[in-house]
Amino acid sequence: MAKDVKPTRKNLMQIEDRIELSERGHDTLEKKRDGLIMEFMDILDQAQDVREDLDDSYDRAQRAINMARAMEGDVAVRGAAAALKEHPELTTQSKNIMGVVVPQIESSKVRKSLDERGYGVMGTSARIDEAAEAYEELLENIILAAEVETAMKKMLEEIETTKRRVNALEFKLLPDLYDNQEYIEQKLEEQEREEIFRMKKIKAKKEEEEDALATEEEAQEEPEAVTADD
Amino acid sequence: MSQEIAVIGSPEFTTGFRLAGVRKFADVPSDEKDEQLDDAVEEMLNDDDVGIVVMHDDDLSHLSRGVRQDAETSVEPVMVTLGGGTGSGGLREQIKRAIGIDLMDED
Repeated sequence: MAKDVKPTRKNLMQIEDRIELSERGHDTLEKKRDGLIMEFMDILDQAQDVREDLDDSYDRAQRAINMARAMEGDVAVRGAAAALKEHPELTTQSKNIMGVVVPQIESSKVRKSLDERGYGVMGTSARIDEAAEAYEELLENIILAAEVETAMKKMLEEIETTKRRVNALEFKLLPDLYDNQEYIEQKLEEQEREEIFRMKKIKAKKEEEEDALATEEEAQEEPEAVTADD
Repeated sequence: MSQEIAVIGSPEFTTGFRLAGVRKFADVPSDEKDEQLDDAVEEMLNDDDVGIVVMHDDDLSHLSRGVRQDAETSVEPVMVTLGGGTGSGGLREQIKRAIGIDLMDED
């Protein structure tokens, strides 16, 4: 890489500009990464609480439906399940956390009163009602978990991309630019030294020539002086 | 746009959710999960009307590698798994990769 650039002053200036920009970008991205991780930690705490609630309500719901199955029989439970008319609906809005768009899920018709469920009140027992209620609670917790876990997934993706960018700048782009800068600086210094050496050589040669000329002139003048004496 | 919740799993798993009003479900009997679960999950993931897919954590092991990865990383719809504790559904692995440490380590 370092050998690909031409060692000119113009290139050196360009590389210095790029180094300045990359360093600034690197600092900003590093701050972004740290900020995202801090936001992520908050969400993680929240997610752990939501998960605990979710697991609890899942256990409760399972117990309730097993009880209903044991008391009423599987067919009755399935029959009641098939009779449901109201269905839970989700609407998604979005929220922005440090440039990451995370969803906010709102639900309707999750909790239903007895007469909204659709299966007859007379034909079914309280066990089935209890199971239905437990599962409605579970659905609410699932929706919460979905919201928090989607936010976590999106933030993790963003953290990963930012981390990759920071590393690319820190371990690839910036070292290459520094190499190029050093290469050009050394080449330019070498050229300067060569130039000085050349100048010295020329100066020495010129002086030599001048000396030679002077001695020649002197040599020519001396015989003339001798002839003048005569 | 309003979306729905979908449930995939054995008939015993889905019945309870249907009791709570979930309309979209895929019943896959336990002995046919290896063959049918992949298709059921793919179908739900490609359905625009589905906002959340609910599955049991144990069922993820019946999925083929590609489908499992799609399911675990999918954001629309998002997959919620039950019965696997915190960090189930590939989240723990993703955190380890992105942050560099296992934040869900309970020890």
